[in-house]
Amino acid sequence: MNLNGTLLGQMIAFGLFIWFCWKFVWPPLLAAMEERASKIEKGLKDSEESAKKIIEAEEQSKKMIAQAKSEAKNVLSNAKAQSEKIVEDSKAKATEEKNRIVTSAQAEIDKEVVNAKKNLEKDFATNVMSAAKKIVGKEISETNHGDTIQKSLDDFRK
Amino acid sequence: MASESSGRTFQEYLEHHLQNLVYGRLPEGHERKFYAKGETDEEKAAYCQDGKNMDYDGDKYCKETLTEDGWYLANNKTDLEAMGFWAFNIDTLFFSLLLGSIFLFFFINAAKSFSLEKPTKLQLFIEMMIDFVNGVVKGTFKAGQNSLVAPMALTIFVWVLLMNLMDLVPVDLIPYPAEEIGIPYLKVVPTTDLNLTAALALSVFILYLFFSIKNKGFIGFIKSITLHPFGPWMLPANLFVEVIDMLAKPLSLALRLYGNLYAGEMIFLLIAGMVMINFETLTIAGVGLNLAGVTLSLIWAIFHILIVVLQAFIFMMLTVVYMNMAHEKFEQH
Repeated sequence: MNLNGTLLGQMIAFGLFIWFCWKFVWPPLLAAMEERASKIEKGLKDSEESAKKIIEAEEQSKKMIAQAKSEAKNVLSNAKAQSEKIVEDSKAKATEEKNRIVTSAQAEIDKEVVNAKKNLEKDFATNVMSAAKKIVGKEISETNHGDTIQKSLDDFRK
Repeated sequence: MASESSGRTFQEYLEHHLQNLVYGRLPEGHERKFYAKGETDEEKAAYCQDGKNMDYDGDKYCKETLTEDGWYLANNKTDLEAMGFWAFNIDTLFFSLLLGSIFLFFFINAAKSFSLEKPTKLQLFIEMMIDFVNGVVKGTFKAGQNSLVAPMALTIFVWVLLMNLMDLVPVDLIPYPAEEIGIPYLKVVPTTDLNLTAALALSVFILYLFFSIKNKGFIGFIKSITLHPFGPWMLPANLFVEVIDMLAKPLSLALRLYGNLYAGEMIFLLIAGMVMINFETLTIAGVGLNLAGVTLSLIWAIFHILIVVLQAFIFMMLTVVYMNMAHEKFEQH
């Protein structure tokens, strides 16, 4: 039970153990633990930030979709209006063309009718004259019978 | 009783268990005595003659008078007294160094193979210890900056804890086989040796003085022990009070740990004394005593777990507190 040299031996041993712990145990372990702590902290911060970013991105995408929808609507309505306008225009043009063609055809027809009448008049007059010559057998001059012929021509015209 | 197996009385059993294995220098002319094994006088004489080349004294012991100085293992109180200060408790040194090396081995290993992402369970346990000690040091040591305090606290806590835990090893488990192979005494709990606790306390005290003088300056240190608590006009009284206060630190530190663990060990031994091993002489009452002994031993062991951890913690805590005091610029009273 008495104190003896063991005391000194134990003091040396204790000093050595403390020194070892001081040099080789405490600093690396504590540094590693602190490194992990900071890593965890950073990880948590990062995840929080990315969660925020995801929410932002979602909002942005919603906005973009809405915008695209309204744009599409605009485009559609524009296209509709344009096509209607094109149809209207072409209708108007076609009507105009039709009217033009119809009037020109009418004019032609009118002209043809006048010509035909003239030719018919001419032919008829000649035919009548020759027929009348055959029937009468005598000369019919214009000077003598011109009035009669003119009268029949006027009747024919009617 | 457990002691009967080795042919001792209970008194001798206790003394045997409370004696360290001491290796020291014995002077010329010193008489060494050994307990002679055997039943008859002839057997005992033969034991003395064959085993140790000694004479049998006709009663209990083999005897030998040294013709020159030499280093021997102590066998009894007279040997110890003759050895004086220059003797070493082999068992205390062996077990404390073994346990300290185990502590360093595991912790240095953990530091080397430290994994941030995939820690092993052992690493987590070690981290827990570091975290615990770091918390205590951060909470208590606020007076200054010193990178030595935390590692010292860790060393003290884990080392003392491991040494205290040896107290939970059944009292005869290691000493009995050791005696069979020729080691006469063996105390397996280093903290039940005053040498060890005093060595720790003295080392802490030396560090306390060193850091006190380093931080306050020699003049400041002298002032701190002479000008408080009553002021300069009561200098002798101040000195007296402060010196006692200072000396009480290592003394209380050493004796608290030693006393707690020694008492704990003693109770284990007393309980062990209740348990019989000699089955031939076992009676009904003896069976009852055995059962009581086993039960008591279990209860005391469970309670002792608390003491073991608590004493390690108190030693560490007080060390940190003393280090904090050593770093305080102005003593507060």
